[in-house]
Amino acid sequence: MSSIPATTEPVDVDRRSRTDARHDALFRLLLKACALLVLAALLGAALSTLWGGREVLFGHGLHFLASDAWNPVTDDYGALAPIFGTLVTSLIALVLAVPTSFGIALFLTEIAPAWLRGPVATAIELLASIPSIIYGMWGLFVFVPFMSRIEPALNDTLGRIPLVGKLFQGPPIGLGLLTAGIVLAVMILPFICSVMREVFRTVPTRLKESSYALGSTTWEVVWDIVLPYTRSAVIGGIFLGLGRALGETMAVTFVLGNSYNITSSLLMPGTSISSSIANEFNEAVGTHRSALIALGFLLFVVTFVVLLIARLMLRRLARREGN
Amino acid sequence: MNDIAANDPAGMAGVLPAQTKIAVRGLDFFYGGARALKEISMAIPEKQVTAIIGPSGCGKSTLLRVFNRIYAIYPGLRASGEVLLDGENVLDPSYSMNRLRSKVGMVFQKPVPFPMTIFENVAYGIRHHEKLSKADMEVRVEQALRRAALWDEVKDKLKRSALGLSGGQQQRLCIARGIALKPEVLLLDEPTSALDPIATGRIEQLVEELKRDYTIVIVTHNMQQAARVSDRTAFMYMGELIEFDATEKIFTKPSKKQTEDYITGRFG
Repeated sequence: MSSIPATTEPVDVDRRSRTDARHDALFRLLLKACALLVLAALLGAALSTLWGGREVLFGHGLHFLASDAWNPVTDDYGALAPIFGTLVTSLIALVLAVPTSFGIALFLTEIAPAWLRGPVATAIELLASIPSIIYGMWGLFVFVPFMSRIEPALNDTLGRIPLVGKLFQGPPIGLGLLTAGIVLAVMILPFICSVMREVFRTVPTRLKESSYALGSTTWEVVWDIVLPYTRSAVIGGIFLGLGRALGETMAVTFVLGNSYNITSSLLMPGTSISSSIANEFNEAVGTHRSALIALGFLLFVVTFVVLLIARLMLRRLARREGN
Repeated sequence: MNDIAANDPAGMAGVLPAQTKIAVRGLDFFYGGARALKEISMAIPEKQVTAIIGPSGCGKSTLLRVFNRIYAIYPGLRASGEVLLDGENVLDPSYSMNRLRSKVGMVFQKPVPFPMTIFENVAYGIRHHEKLSKADMEVRVEQALRRAALWDEVKDKLKRSALGLSGGQQQRLCIARGIALKPEVLLLDEPTSALDPIATGRIEQLVEELKRDYTIVIVTHNMQQAARVSDRTAFMYMGELIEFDATEKIFTKPSKKQTEDYITGRFG
């Protein structure tokens, strides 16, 4: 080491640090470009749907947003039924998928013996890789007949409950909001579950042990420690699932029934934004096509609003905890 | 309750007369197939500080974790033998976990405040065991925080997140959380290993004060700490209890060669 002449060092070091600085600057630029590309793509998609739907959005204005009519013959379009269907099916999916995912994730991280964790986790990931058209076919050929068989039973049981009962009264068609919601639940479950499983694993052992040491049960440790600790990631996972549910097209198109109805019964067929587009885009021209593109724009808005609500919820929770 | 002198082969009688709080008899512990504790027998005296020292992996933390059965949350861990708390075997499955954990508090190596406010951190454990009115709860939390010498530093920010406290404050909060349950025994698992010297000093001072009311068992890798805070010291090596005696004796004239080697820094 000491044999290297000390005089040559400064030159080398200077040159080296100059090239380093250049590389760093280039690298940062590259990263920034990647990030901006996402923004540009999103903005581009939003603006082009806004432009494509301008005739209906600006021409019909409030009527488009507030009406539940959808008549290509008279060119009278309202987005209310598709928005309703989208929100209701996604909500059903969340109500079913979130607790189930929660249970699976907890079982896998807290309770399951090591040999069972791998296989179940892999099975869940495989569930995520099934294409949605397969879910659609399965839904139509297997699940819809099944639902039409149990719907009379739903009518007689859940349908009898005051207030909530209305949701479960209707003809046993099989197709409908409830069916679509259940299929969606199966589809988004792996996403929510994987996120939950990953973040539950990040909870420090000492934190859980501390709670056990105070006499907590497993449930209390999960509810009071694990969930608050992973809260933002868990909500993030739920909204990842919700985002998919809102935009899911093929599976929903197959089982939703495609009728522009707003009904109080979950057993009735309905439509959603993406399934309306998928069904009608082929033959739509003029105002009809503009209405469909405008629906696409509304999907952007709905998704954005949902994400915004998630953010606000997180901030409220954080404040309650004193952060 | 047993008198120490009655069943004490190591001859520590007369050093510090005391009642036995925890009597360990023939305790073995297994991680799956590996035996981590071998035939441990010892009598931990009431309202004194007992230190457990020994090189890494000697089983000192394992022994501590048997005392409140915290190991039981993991599958595959097993203890056999007896750990008698006031004469009752806590390893007996019929000994209620809730009762055990309200009697035996534990503070861990790294400060682990829960992701809640300072107040909630202390109140959390109490809620598991008692139903208190809001006013009573406030009194209890204040008592615990005062007892842990933390009250003056946090009384104006009880509603803030506990994660904002310094490491030393967090550890004292964990102690407050433990003593809020009014336990009889306090287990400290290397409570100062993640703290700076000043914070460590405060914790040691606190241990000194707390032993008037609590039986304290402290695991430490820091021999000076054991010498400073404890009345009795147990030296463990390879899962065995080599020597257990009055701290002064352990550090000045240990009776076993291994203890002497460890104390004088020849290994470990």
